[in-house]
Amino acid sequence: MSAIGTLARVPRATFEFANVILTIPDASIGQTPREVVWTHRGTTLYRYRSSRREHAIPVLLVFALINRPEIFDLRPGNSFVEFLLAEGFDVFLVDWGVPGEEDSDMGLAEFVCDELHWAVRETLLASGEEELTLLGWCIGGTLCAMYCAMYPVGAVRNAVLLTTPIDPSGSLYARWVGHDEFDVDLIADSYAAVPGAGIDMANKLMKPVTNYVTTYRLLFQSILDGKDPRTGYQPMAKWVADNPPFPSRAYREWITWMYKENRLVAGRVRLRGERVDLGRIEQNLLVVTAGADHIAPPAGTVPLLDLVASEDVTHLDRPGGHIGLMAGSKAKHELWPELADWLSDRSGH
Amino acid sequence: MAKASTPIPEAHVHELYEQAESRTAQAFEELVSKPSFGTLLARSAENVAAVTRISSDIADLVLRNLRLAGRADVTRLAGQLHRTEDKLERLLQKVEELHDELARGRPSANGSSVVRTDTEPRRTKGASS
Repeated sequence: MSAIGTLARVPRATFEFANVILTIPDASIGQTPREVVWTHRGTTLYRYRSSRREHAIPVLLVFALINRPEIFDLRPGNSFVEFLLAEGFDVFLVDWGVPGEEDSDMGLAEFVCDELHWAVRETLLASGEEELTLLGWCIGGTLCAMYCAMYPVGAVRNAVLLTTPIDPSGSLYARWVGHDEFDVDLIADSYAAVPGAGIDMANKLMKPVTNYVTTYRLLFQSILDGKDPRTGYQPMAKWVADNPPFPSRAYREWITWMYKENRLVAGRVRLRGERVDLGRIEQNLLVVTAGADHIAPPAGTVPLLDLVASEDVTHLDRPGGHIGLMAGSKAKHELWPELADWLSDRSGH
Repeated sequence: MAKASTPIPEAHVHELYEQAESRTAQAFEELVSKPSFGTLLARSAENVAAVTRISSDIADLVLRNLRLAGRADVTRLAGQLHRTEDKLERLLQKVEELHDELARGRPSANGSSVVRTDTEPRRTKGASS
Protein backbone atom coordinates (compact mmCIF):
# COMPACT_ATOMS: atom_id res chain seq x y z
CA MET A 1 0.00 0.00 0.00
CA SER A 2 1.26 3.48 -0.81
CA ALA A 3 2.23 5.95 1.87
CA ILE A 4 -0.77 8.10 0.94
CA GLY A 5 -3.05 5.08 1.23
CA THR A 6 -1.68 4.28 4.66
CA LEU A 7 -2.06 7.88 5.79
CA ALA A 8 -5.65 7.87 4.59
CA ARG A 9 -6.37 4.90 6.85
CA VAL A 10 -4.91 6.48 9.97
CA PRO A 11 -8.05 8.41 11.12
CA ARG A 12 -10.22 5.32 10.88
CA ALA A 13 -7.57 3.14 12.55
CA THR A 14 -7.26 5.71 15.37
CA PHE A 15 -11.01 5.59 15.92
CA GLU A 16 -10.95 1.79 15.92
CA PHE A 17 -7.93 1.74 18.25
CA ALA A 18 -9.77 3.96 20.74
CA ASN A 19 -12.76 1.65 20.55
CA VAL A 20 -10.64 -1.45 21.21
CA ILE A 21 -9.03 0.18 24.25
CA LEU A 22 -12.26 1.62 25.65
CA THR A 23 -14.22 -1.62 25.34
CA ILE A 24 -11.63 -3.84 27.07
CA PRO A 25 -13.79 -4.10 30.23
CA ASP A 26 -16.58 -5.59 28.10
CA ALA A 27 -14.46 -8.57 27.01
CA SER A 28 -15.60 -11.91 28.41
CA ILE A 29 -13.09 -14.07 30.25
CA GLY A 30 -13.50 -17.20 32.35
CA GLN A 31 -16.50 -18.48 30.41
CA THR A 32 -16.22 -22.24 30.94
CA PRO A 33 -19.25 -23.38 33.00
CA ARG A 34 -18.37 -24.10 36.61
CA GLU A 35 -20.00 -24.62 39.96
CA VAL A 36 -19.17 -23.35 43.41
CA VAL A 37 -18.06 -26.22 45.65
CA TRP A 38 -16.96 -24.36 48.75
CA THR A 39 -16.40 -20.84 49.99
CA HIS A 40 -14.60 -19.41 52.97
CA ARG A 41 -14.06 -15.68 53.48
CA GLY A 42 -13.08 -14.46 50.01
CA THR A 43 -11.86 -17.83 48.79
CA THR A 44 -14.01 -19.88 46.42
CA LEU A 45 -13.40 -23.38 45.15
CA TYR A 46 -14.88 -24.05 41.71
CA ARG A 47 -15.37 -27.29 39.87
CA TYR A 48 -15.68 -27.17 36.09
CA ARG A 49 -18.48 -29.11 34.46
CA SER A 50 -17.38 -32.03 32.36
CA SER A 51 -19.08 -34.93 30.64
CA ARG A 52 -15.93 -36.90 29.96
CA ARG A 53 -13.78 -37.48 33.00
CA GLU A 54 -11.20 -40.12 32.17
CA HIS A 55 -8.48 -39.56 34.75
CA ALA A 56 -9.23 -40.37 38.35
CA ILE A 57 -6.96 -37.84 40.02
CA PRO A 58 -8.48 -34.34 40.00
CA VAL A 59 -6.40 -31.27 39.18
CA LEU A 60 -6.58 -28.29 41.54
CA LEU A 61 -5.44 -25.05 39.89
CA VAL A 62 -3.87 -22.39 42.11
CA PHE A 63 -2.96 -18.95 40.86
CA ALA A 64 -1.07 -16.01 42.35
CA LEU A 65 -2.42 -13.49 44.82
CA ILE A 66 -1.79 -10.46 42.59
CA ASN A 67 -3.94 -11.32 39.56
CA ARG A 68 -7.19 -13.14 39.00
CA PRO A 69 -7.18 -16.88 38.20
CA GLU A 70 -9.20 -16.38 35.00
CA ILE A 71 -5.89 -16.61 33.12
CA PHE A 72 -6.44 -20.37 33.34
CA ASP A 73 -9.65 -19.91 31.37
CA LEU A 74 -8.97 -16.85 29.27
CA ARG A 75 -11.31 -17.30 26.32
CA PRO A 76 -13.01 -20.14 24.44
CA GLY A 77 -10.47 -21.74 22.14
CA ASN A 78 -7.56 -20.54 24.24
CA SER A 79 -8.39 -21.86 27.69
CA PHE A 80 -6.20 -24.19 29.71
CA VAL A 81 -9.24 -25.31 31.70
CA GLU A 82 -11.11 -26.14 28.50
CA PHE A 83 -8.06 -28.06 27.29
CA LEU A 84 -7.76 -30.10 30.51
CA LEU A 85 -11.48 -30.92 30.41
CA ALA A 86 -11.15 -32.09 26.81
CA GLU A 87 -8.25 -34.30 27.90
CA GLY A 88 -10.52 -35.94 30.45
CA PHE A 89 -9.34 -34.32 33.69
CA ASP A 90 -11.55 -33.37 36.61
CA VAL A 91 -10.65 -29.69 37.08
CA PHE A 92 -11.01 -27.57 40.21
CA LEU A 93 -9.83 -24.03 40.72
CA VAL A 94 -9.19 -22.09 43.89
CA ASP A 95 -9.97 -18.39 43.58
CA TRP A 96 -8.55 -16.20 46.36
CA GLY A 97 -11.18 -13.56 45.65
CA VAL A 98 -10.62 -9.84 45.99
CA PRO A 99 -9.23 -9.18 49.47
CA GLY A 100 -10.38 -6.07 51.27
CA GLU A 101 -8.98 -4.17 54.22
CA GLU A 102 -10.72 -6.63 56.53
CA ASP A 103 -8.36 -9.32 55.17
CA SER A 104 -5.25 -7.57 56.43
CA ASP A 105 -4.76 -10.44 58.89
CA MET A 106 -4.33 -12.93 56.04
CA GLY A 107 -0.69 -14.00 55.97
CA LEU A 108 1.04 -16.75 54.01
CA ALA A 109 0.18 -19.20 56.79
CA GLU A 110 -3.53 -18.45 56.35
CA PHE A 111 -3.28 -19.00 52.60
CA VAL A 112 -1.29 -22.23 52.85
CA CYS A 113 -2.51 -23.84 56.08
CA ASP A 114 -6.14 -22.73 55.94
CA GLU A 115 -7.41 -21.70 52.52
CA LEU A 116 -5.32 -24.07 50.38
CA HIS A 117 -5.46 -26.92 52.89
CA TRP A 118 -9.22 -26.68 53.12
CA ALA A 119 -9.59 -26.30 49.36
CA VAL A 120 -7.62 -29.54 48.97
CA ARG A 121 -9.90 -31.22 51.49
CA GLU A 122 -13.04 -30.03 49.73
CA THR A 123 -11.66 -31.06 46.33
CA LEU A 124 -11.12 -34.59 47.61
CA LEU A 125 -14.59 -34.72 49.11
CA ALA A 126 -16.22 -33.42 45.95
CA SER A 127 -14.27 -35.72 43.63
CA GLY A 128 -14.44 -38.78 45.87
CA GLU A 129 -10.72 -39.35 45.47
CA GLU A 130 -7.97 -39.65 48.06
CA GLU A 131 -5.30 -37.84 46.07
CA LEU A 132 -5.04 -34.90 43.69
CA THR A 133 -2.69 -32.89 41.52
CA LEU A 134 -1.76 -29.38 42.65
CA LEU A 135 -0.96 -27.08 39.76
CA GLY A 136 0.37 -23.71 40.87
CA TRP A 137 1.48 -20.77 38.81
CA CYS A 138 3.69 -17.87 39.93
CA ILE A 139 3.07 -17.12 43.63
CA GLY A 140 0.44 -19.84 43.46
CA GLY A 141 3.30 -22.24 42.67
CA THR A 142 5.25 -21.04 45.69
CA LEU A 143 2.21 -21.55 47.90
CA CYS A 144 1.82 -25.07 46.45
CA ALA A 145 5.51 -25.82 47.08
CA MET A 146 5.10 -24.67 50.69
CA TYR A 147 1.97 -26.81 51.02
CA CYS A 148 3.72 -29.91 49.61
CA ALA A 149 6.61 -29.35 52.01
CA MET A 150 4.25 -29.09 54.97
CA TYR A 151 2.11 -32.06 53.94
CA PRO A 152 4.53 -34.37 52.08
CA VAL A 153 2.47 -37.47 52.71
CA GLY A 154 -1.22 -37.50 51.96
CA ALA A 155 -3.45 -35.73 49.56
CA VAL A 156 -1.07 -34.38 46.92
CA ARG A 157 0.17 -37.03 44.49
CA ASN A 158 1.52 -34.68 41.80
CA ALA A 159 2.74 -31.10 42.00
CA VAL A 160 3.12 -28.93 38.92
CA LEU A 161 4.87 -25.62 39.45
CA LEU A 162 4.77 -23.08 36.62
CA THR A 163 7.18 -20.11 36.58
CA THR A 164 7.46 -20.20 40.35
CA PRO A 165 9.75 -18.00 42.45
CA ILE A 166 11.72 -20.15 44.89
CA ASP A 167 15.07 -18.35 45.19
CA PRO A 168 14.44 -14.85 43.82
CA SER A 169 17.70 -13.37 45.12
CA GLY A 170 19.01 -12.63 41.62
CA SER A 171 15.80 -11.15 40.24
CA LEU A 172 15.04 -7.55 39.39
CA TYR A 173 12.35 -7.56 42.08
CA ALA A 174 15.01 -8.40 44.66
CA ARG A 175 17.04 -5.41 43.45
CA TRP A 176 14.00 -3.18 43.88
CA VAL A 177 12.53 -4.35 47.16
CA GLY A 178 15.24 -6.54 48.69
CA HIS A 179 17.45 -3.70 49.90
CA ASP A 180 17.07 -1.95 53.27
CA GLU A 181 15.89 1.31 51.73
CA PHE A 182 12.60 -0.28 50.70
CA ASP A 183 10.54 0.02 53.85
CA VAL A 184 8.01 -2.79 53.49
CA ASP A 185 6.62 -2.09 56.96
CA LEU A 186 5.69 1.46 56.02
CA ILE A 187 3.77 0.20 52.98
CA ALA A 188 2.09 -2.64 54.89
CA ASP A 189 1.18 -0.36 57.80
CA SER A 190 -0.25 2.29 55.48
CA TYR A 191 -2.36 -0.06 53.41
CA ALA A 192 -4.43 -2.79 55.01
CA ALA A 193 -4.69 -4.15 51.48
CA VAL A 194 -1.83 -3.07 49.22
CA PRO A 195 -3.40 -1.76 45.99
CA GLY A 196 -3.04 -4.14 43.08
CA ALA A 197 -2.58 -1.23 40.69
CA GLY A 198 0.68 -0.33 42.42
CA ILE A 199 2.00 -3.86 42.09
CA ASP A 200 0.88 -3.97 38.47
CA MET A 201 2.72 -0.72 37.77
CA ALA A 202 5.89 -2.18 39.29
CA ASN A 203 5.51 -5.26 37.09
CA LYS A 204 5.13 -3.11 34.00
CA LEU A 205 8.07 -0.91 34.94
CA MET A 206 10.34 -3.93 34.57
CA LYS A 207 9.94 -3.54 30.82
CA PRO A 208 8.63 0.00 30.53
CA VAL A 209 8.90 0.58 26.80
CA THR A 210 7.55 -2.87 25.90
CA ASN A 211 4.57 -2.50 28.24
CA TYR A 212 3.72 1.17 27.78
CA VAL A 213 4.68 1.73 24.12
CA THR A 214 5.31 -1.40 22.04
CA THR A 215 2.09 -3.15 23.04
CA TYR A 216 -0.02 -0.21 21.89
CA ARG A 217 2.08 0.42 18.79
CA LEU A 218 1.65 -3.20 17.68
CA LEU A 219 -2.07 -3.01 18.40
CA PHE A 220 -2.38 0.13 16.29
CA GLN A 221 -0.29 -1.44 13.54
CA SER A 222 -2.49 -4.52 13.39
CA ILE A 223 -5.59 -2.33 13.10
CA LEU A 224 -3.90 -0.31 10.39
CA ASP A 225 -3.18 -3.58 8.58
CA GLY A 226 -6.91 -4.31 8.59
CA LYS A 227 -6.95 -6.96 11.33
CA ASP A 228 -9.47 -7.11 14.16
CA PRO A 229 -7.46 -7.61 17.38
CA ARG A 230 -10.45 -7.76 19.72
CA THR A 231 -10.58 -11.54 20.12
CA GLY A 232 -6.91 -11.95 20.92
CA TYR A 233 -6.08 -8.68 22.63
CA GLN A 234 -9.04 -7.68 24.75
CA PRO A 235 -9.38 -10.75 27.04
CA MET A 236 -5.68 -10.62 27.91
CA ALA A 237 -5.76 -6.83 28.39
CA LYS A 238 -8.78 -7.19 30.68
CA TRP A 239 -7.05 -9.85 32.73
CA VAL A 240 -3.82 -7.84 32.99
CA ALA A 241 -5.73 -4.79 34.24
CA ASP A 242 -7.59 -6.71 36.94
CA ASN A 243 -5.30 -6.56 39.96
CA PRO A 244 -6.78 -7.48 43.33
CA PRO A 245 -5.18 -5.97 46.42
CA PHE A 246 -2.49 -7.90 48.30
CA PRO A 247 -3.44 -8.39 51.98
CA SER A 248 -0.91 -6.38 53.95
CA ARG A 249 0.27 -9.21 56.18
CA ALA A 250 0.84 -11.55 53.23
CA TYR A 251 2.56 -8.70 51.35
CA ARG A 252 4.89 -7.98 54.27
CA GLU A 253 5.76 -11.66 54.65
CA TRP A 254 6.19 -12.22 50.92
CA ILE A 255 8.55 -9.27 50.45
CA THR A 256 10.49 -9.90 53.64
CA TRP A 257 10.77 -13.67 53.51
CA MET A 258 11.34 -14.03 49.79
CA TYR A 259 13.14 -10.88 48.63
CA LYS A 260 14.79 -9.38 51.68
CA GLU A 261 15.82 -12.53 53.56
CA ASN A 262 15.46 -15.25 50.92
CA ARG A 263 14.19 -17.64 53.56
CA LEU A 264 12.33 -20.26 51.54
CA VAL A 265 15.28 -21.79 49.77
CA ALA A 266 17.25 -21.75 53.03
CA GLY A 267 14.44 -23.56 54.84
CA ARG A 268 13.85 -20.68 57.24
CA VAL A 269 10.19 -19.98 56.54
CA ARG A 270 7.96 -20.98 59.42
CA LEU A 271 4.20 -21.29 59.08
CA ARG A 272 2.25 -21.77 62.31
CA GLY A 273 5.52 -22.63 64.00
CA GLU A 274 6.42 -25.39 61.57
CA ARG A 275 9.48 -25.06 59.33
CA VAL A 276 8.78 -25.17 55.62
CA ASP A 277 11.53 -27.52 54.44
CA LEU A 278 11.44 -27.96 50.66
CA GLY A 279 13.57 -31.07 51.18
CA ARG A 280 10.45 -32.79 52.48
CA ILE A 281 8.67 -32.58 49.13
CA GLU A 282 8.15 -36.16 47.99
CA GLN A 283 5.38 -35.74 45.43
CA ASN A 284 5.85 -36.36 41.72
CA LEU A 285 7.13 -32.97 40.62
CA LEU A 286 6.98 -31.09 37.35
CA VAL A 287 8.73 -27.73 37.27
CA VAL A 288 8.21 -25.48 34.27
CA THR A 289 10.36 -22.41 33.66
CA ALA A 290 10.20 -19.81 30.90
CA GLY A 291 13.44 -18.73 29.27
CA ALA A 292 12.41 -15.07 28.91
CA ASP A 293 10.68 -14.79 32.28
CA HIS A 294 11.73 -11.51 33.92
CA ILE A 295 9.36 -11.87 36.90
CA ALA A 296 10.37 -15.37 38.02
CA PRO A 297 13.59 -16.05 36.07
CA PRO A 298 14.52 -19.73 35.64
CA ALA A 299 17.61 -19.23 37.79
CA GLY A 300 15.30 -18.46 40.69
CA THR A 301 13.26 -21.64 40.26
CA VAL A 302 15.76 -24.38 39.41
CA PRO A 303 17.35 -24.54 42.90
CA LEU A 304 14.17 -26.37 43.90
CA LEU A 305 15.19 -29.34 41.76
CA ASP A 306 18.20 -30.00 43.96
CA LEU A 307 16.31 -29.55 47.19
CA VAL A 308 13.33 -31.86 46.90
CA ALA A 309 13.24 -35.50 47.96
CA SER A 310 10.90 -36.51 45.11
CA GLU A 311 12.02 -39.48 43.05
CA ASP A 312 9.99 -38.39 40.05
CA VAL A 313 11.19 -34.93 39.05
CA THR A 314 10.77 -33.37 35.60
CA HIS A 315 11.97 -29.96 34.50
CA LEU A 316 10.73 -28.27 31.34
CA ASP A 317 12.47 -25.09 30.28
CA ARG A 318 10.64 -23.53 27.37
CA PRO A 319 10.95 -20.27 25.47
CA GLY A 320 8.45 -17.64 26.53
CA GLY A 321 7.60 -15.11 29.18
CA HIS A 322 6.10 -15.38 32.64
CA ILE A 323 2.51 -15.38 31.39
CA GLY A 324 2.94 -15.93 27.65
CA LEU A 325 4.39 -19.38 28.28
CA MET A 326 1.00 -20.68 29.44
CA ALA A 327 -1.44 -18.15 28.00
CA GLY A 328 0.18 -17.32 24.67
CA SER A 329 -1.22 -18.48 21.36
CA LYS A 330 1.44 -21.23 21.02
CA ALA A 331 0.83 -22.78 24.44
CA LYS A 332 -2.16 -24.79 23.25
CA HIS A 333 -0.03 -26.68 20.76
CA GLU A 334 3.25 -26.80 22.66
CA LEU A 335 3.25 -26.68 26.45
CA TRP A 336 -0.30 -27.77 27.29
CA PRO A 337 -0.01 -31.17 25.55
CA GLU A 338 3.27 -31.75 27.40
CA LEU A 339 1.57 -30.98 30.71
CA ALA A 340 -1.38 -33.23 29.84
CA ASP A 341 0.96 -36.10 28.91
CA TRP A 342 2.89 -35.76 32.16
CA LEU A 343 -0.33 -35.61 34.16
CA SER A 344 -2.10 -38.47 32.42
CA ASP A 345 0.83 -40.81 33.18
CA ARG A 346 0.40 -40.02 36.87
CA SER A 347 -3.35 -39.63 37.24
CA GLY A 348 -4.63 -43.20 37.27
CA HIS A 349 -5.56 -45.49 40.12
CA MET B 1 16.50 -5.23 -11.15
CA ALA B 2 18.14 -2.22 -9.61
CA LYS B 3 14.73 -0.71 -9.08
CA ALA B 4 13.50 -3.78 -7.16
CA SER B 5 16.35 -3.60 -4.64
CA THR B 6 15.72 0.07 -3.81
CA PRO B 7 14.19 0.22 -0.32
CA ILE B 8 10.70 1.69 -0.13
CA PRO B 9 10.97 4.90 1.93
CA GLU B 10 8.00 3.96 4.10
CA ALA B 11 9.44 0.57 4.97
CA HIS B 12 12.80 2.15 5.66
CA VAL B 13 11.26 4.66 8.08
CA HIS B 14 9.34 1.86 9.75
CA GLU B 15 12.49 -0.18 10.18
CA LEU B 16 14.37 2.78 11.61
CA TYR B 17 11.55 3.43 14.07
CA GLU B 18 11.54 -0.19 15.22
CA GLN B 19 15.28 -0.10 15.74
CA ALA B 20 14.97 3.09 17.76
CA GLU B 21 12.18 1.63 19.87
CA SER B 22 14.12 -1.58 20.48
CA ARG B 23 17.21 0.36 21.59
CA THR B 24 15.13 2.63 23.80
CA ALA B 25 13.54 -0.44 25.39
CA GLN B 26 16.97 -1.90 26.13
CA ALA B 27 18.19 1.40 27.55
CA PHE B 28 15.15 1.69 29.83
CA GLU B 29 15.49 -1.91 30.99
CA GLU B 30 19.10 -1.18 31.93
CA LEU B 31 17.98 1.98 33.67
CA VAL B 32 15.35 0.25 35.81
CA SER B 33 17.79 -2.47 36.80
CA LYS B 34 20.12 0.03 38.48
CA PRO B 35 20.11 0.25 42.30
CA SER B 36 19.41 3.99 42.12
CA PHE B 37 16.13 3.27 40.31
CA GLY B 38 15.23 0.82 43.08
CA THR B 39 15.86 3.56 45.65
CA LEU B 40 13.75 6.02 43.65
CA LEU B 41 10.95 3.49 43.40
CA ALA B 42 11.14 2.80 47.15
CA ARG B 43 10.93 6.51 48.01
CA SER B 44 8.04 7.03 45.59
CA ALA B 45 6.11 4.08 47.04
CA GLU B 46 6.69 5.36 50.58
CA ASN B 47 5.55 8.87 49.66
CA VAL B 48 2.39 7.61 47.97
CA ALA B 49 1.66 5.32 50.94
CA ALA B 50 2.17 8.15 53.43
CA VAL B 51 -0.04 10.58 51.51
CA THR B 52 -2.74 7.91 51.16
CA ARG B 53 -2.65 7.18 54.88
CA ILE B 54 -2.87 10.85 55.84
CA SER B 55 -5.78 11.53 53.48
CA SER B 56 -7.56 8.36 54.61
CA ASP B 57 -7.15 9.31 58.27
CA ILE B 58 -8.50 12.80 57.61
CA ALA B 59 -11.51 11.45 55.71
CA ASP B 60 -12.21 8.98 58.51
CA LEU B 61 -11.95 11.72 61.13
CA VAL B 62 -14.46 13.86 59.25
CA LEU B 63 -16.90 10.96 58.95
CA ARG B 64 -16.61 10.08 62.62
CA ASN B 65 -17.27 13.65 63.67
CA LEU B 66 -20.37 13.54 61.51
CA ARG B 67 -21.39 10.44 63.50
CA LEU B 68 -21.21 8.31 60.36
CA ALA B 69 -19.51 4.95 60.02
CA GLY B 70 -16.09 5.42 58.47
CA ARG B 71 -14.04 3.00 56.45
CA ALA B 72 -12.22 1.79 59.55
CA ASP B 73 -15.54 1.00 61.25
CA VAL B 74 -16.78 -0.99 58.27
CA THR B 75 -13.46 -2.81 58.04
CA ARG B 76 -13.62 -3.68 61.74
CA LEU B 77 -17.11 -5.11 61.33
CA ALA B 78 -16.11 -7.10 58.27
CA GLY B 79 -13.09 -8.41 60.18
CA GLN B 80 -15.38 -9.61 62.98
CA LEU B 81 -17.58 -11.37 60.44
CA HIS B 82 -14.51 -13.09 58.99
CA ARG B 83 -13.35 -14.25 62.40
CA THR B 84 -16.81 -15.68 63.04
CA GLU B 85 -16.69 -17.43 59.68
CA ASP B 86 -13.27 -18.88 60.58
CA LYS B 87 -14.68 -20.32 63.79
CA LEU B 88 -17.75 -21.72 62.03
CA GLU B 89 -15.57 -23.37 59.36
CA ARG B 90 -13.41 -25.05 62.00
CA LEU B 91 -16.49 -26.11 63.94
CA LEU B 92 -18.08 -27.53 60.81
CA GLN B 93 -14.95 -29.53 60.01
CA LYS B 94 -14.89 -30.91 63.54
CA VAL B 95 -18.57 -31.90 63.31
CA GLU B 96 -17.91 -33.64 59.99
CA GLU B 97 -14.95 -35.52 61.47
CA LEU B 98 -17.10 -36.70 64.38
CA HIS B 99 -19.89 -37.63 61.97
CA ASP B 100 -17.47 -39.72 59.93
CA GLU B 101 -16.08 -41.37 63.06
CA LEU B 102 -19.59 -42.23 64.19
CA ALA B 103 -20.51 -43.58 60.76
CA ARG B 104 -17.41 -45.78 60.70
CA GLY B 105 -18.13 -47.17 64.15
CA ARG B 106 -21.88 -47.78 63.75
CA PRO B 107 -22.87 -51.28 62.59
CA SER B 108 -25.30 -51.45 59.67
CA ALA B 109 -28.50 -53.53 59.50
CA ASN B 110 -26.61 -56.53 58.07
CA GLY B 111 -23.99 -56.34 60.81
CA SER B 112 -21.12 -54.79 58.87
CA SER B 113 -19.68 -51.42 59.72
CA VAL B 114 -21.08 -48.52 57.76
CA VAL B 115 -18.43 -46.79 55.73
CA ARG B 116 -19.22 -43.37 54.36
CA THR B 117 -19.27 -43.65 50.62
CA ASP B 118 -21.01 -40.50 49.53
CA THR B 119 -18.63 -38.32 47.66
CA GLU B 120 -20.88 -35.44 46.76
CA PRO B 121 -19.89 -32.02 48.04
CA ARG B 122 -21.89 -31.34 51.15
CA ARG B 123 -21.92 -27.61 51.04
CA THR B 124 -22.45 -26.72 47.45
CA LYS B 125 -23.67 -23.14 47.26
CA GLY B 126 -25.65 -23.99 44.19
CA ALA B 127 -24.71 -20.90 42.21
CA SER B 128 -23.10 -21.32 38.85
CA SER B 129 -21.02 -18.65 37.28
